[in-house]
Amino acid sequence: MAERMIPPLADRDTGGFFAAAAEGRLVLRTCSDCGRVLNPPMAHCRFCGSWNTGWKDSAGRGTLYSWTVVTHGVHPAYPTPYTVVLVDVDDAPGARLVGMIPGEPSLRAGQPMEVWFDPAGDGAVIPQWRPVDAASS
Amino acid sequence: MMAQQSVPGIEARELRDKCAIVGIGSTEFSRNSGRSALTLATEASLAAIADAGLKPNEIDGIIRCTSDTVAYNALAASLGVDELNFWGETGPGGVAPCAMIGMAAGAILSGQARNVLLYRSLNGRSEVRFGAGQNRSGAQVVGGLGSYDEFFLPYGLLTAGQMFALIAQRHMLQYGTTAEQLGALALLCRENANDTPHAQMHDRRMTLDDYLASRFIAKPLRLFDFCLETDGACAVVVTAADRARDMPHHPVLVRAVGLGSPPDLRGGMMFPTLMRDDITAMPGYTAGRRLWSQAGVGPAEIDVAQIYDCFTISLLLQLEAFGLCPRGEGGPFAASGALRRDGSLPINTAGGNMSEGYIHGMNHVVEAVRQLRHTAAVQVPGAELCLVTGGPLPVGSSALLRRA
Repeated sequence: MAERMIPPLADRDTGGFFAAAAEGRLVLRTCSDCGRVLNPPMAHCRFCGSWNTGWKDSAGRGTLYSWTVVTHGVHPAYPTPYTVVLVDVDDAPGARLVGMIPGEPSLRAGQPMEVWFDPAGDGAVIPQWRPVDAASS
Repeated sequence: MMAQQSVPGIEARELRDKCAIVGIGSTEFSRNSGRSALTLATEASLAAIADAGLKPNEIDGIIRCTSDTVAYNALAASLGVDELNFWGETGPGGVAPCAMIGMAAGAILSGQARNVLLYRSLNGRSEVRFGAGQNRSGAQVVGGLGSYDEFFLPYGLLTAGQMFALIAQRHMLQYGTTAEQLGALALLCRENANDTPHAQMHDRRMTLDDYLASRFIAKPLRLFDFCLETDGACAVVVTAADRARDMPHHPVLVRAVGLGSPPDLRGGMMFPTLMRDDITAMPGYTAGRRLWSQAGVGPAEIDVAQIYDCFTISLLLQLEAFGLCPRGEGGPFAASGALRRDGSLPINTAGGNMSEGYIHGMNHVVEAVRQLRHTAAVQVPGAELCLVTGGPLPVGSSALLRRA
């Protein structure tokens, strides 16, 4: 059985995102001066020119932007069908993240989504997104 | 339409009509060439150099696609180029060819080179299949070091086709674009290939029912929304327009070159473009503004176009981005018949990446030259101006070519 792909945990720009995920937190690189989100994460704020940027916690709610149901697999650790989702993070305007849902769930644009933390292997944890269950929301 | 808006500070006179494509060459397009990419590049380049009436040692500049496995010095050594005075590379995949034309013109007009060879060579079916995705090495730890792949590959987002499926889905949600409209683009490419003897899909006809019945790869995209995977190479030779007059073929002038980044530019090779606010906005909006400004003509004045078509949706999005139709109306425009050979703007007249062969858009440049020499198999009568586009991500490129 092939292993799933995992992120490097010590990358100088992006490692903090996955370090927080390992603690069950969703964080986004954010400018401490202008408040804009820098996604993918980087040290310099392109909006205001500040170097004063850091990791900011998110409540982990989002809105479904787009999705694709992958039916032709190219990697043995990712059996088809599976669905790749693009989710806009509600409390971090400008932050869009990716998630994967097994199978072919019924989805609609604008659907509320919530984060969960997926132990992907070798100590790596990746934030994932799933529809907010209508009954529990 | 964005016709003839001028971009402040852009002096069209510096490039317009001062260089020409004087030689074209191609190999056979196949599923298994049995030859190395260097051999294919050499074969196409020798054909292009001979077509220009030149000898290999008269080439002093070579420009490559960043994705090519063949290095410019390897090609120079294989061809018998005595002295290489200029070289460069212009980005990945389909971005490269039109940008190569601009770089060649810059080298020629600034005195750094006289005769510049542009090439793209790949065993895209038998050796390096782009459809196999971004992790061909099989590594478990992916990304980092500025690639940003760690935000995508672990989620099973692995191929350009999956990325464009997300973009297509969004275009369908925003504008109501349909499968039948995407299929119209696949069909017109196929029809042109059916009448182009060297096209890979020359003898394979396709109906809309065939298209709709093809299996999904990444919904909403089907097999026939995807381009081919091809073994082959194409090459062209660029020189100064005043030298072109003495060469064997009718010169094809470089009227304008336009490069551009998409709105809300991101890093990485491809996937981070999905983090942009509006993922259906293509770099053609900025590349096109630059192109039309430099050209002094607008979209309504071109006779034929070769639009980069790695997928039907990427073709459709560039129709909008380069101002060939309004934003959001690419679907109805695609299905209107205007882009077929007897329409108002025939496109991808040899079949494009969809049905001629996937030489990463260098085949689009070669077909543009055939159209303007009036030697194409599916010839647009009297063609004088041909648009060529490249891309469409992470950045985009375009060129406007003119029959001298």
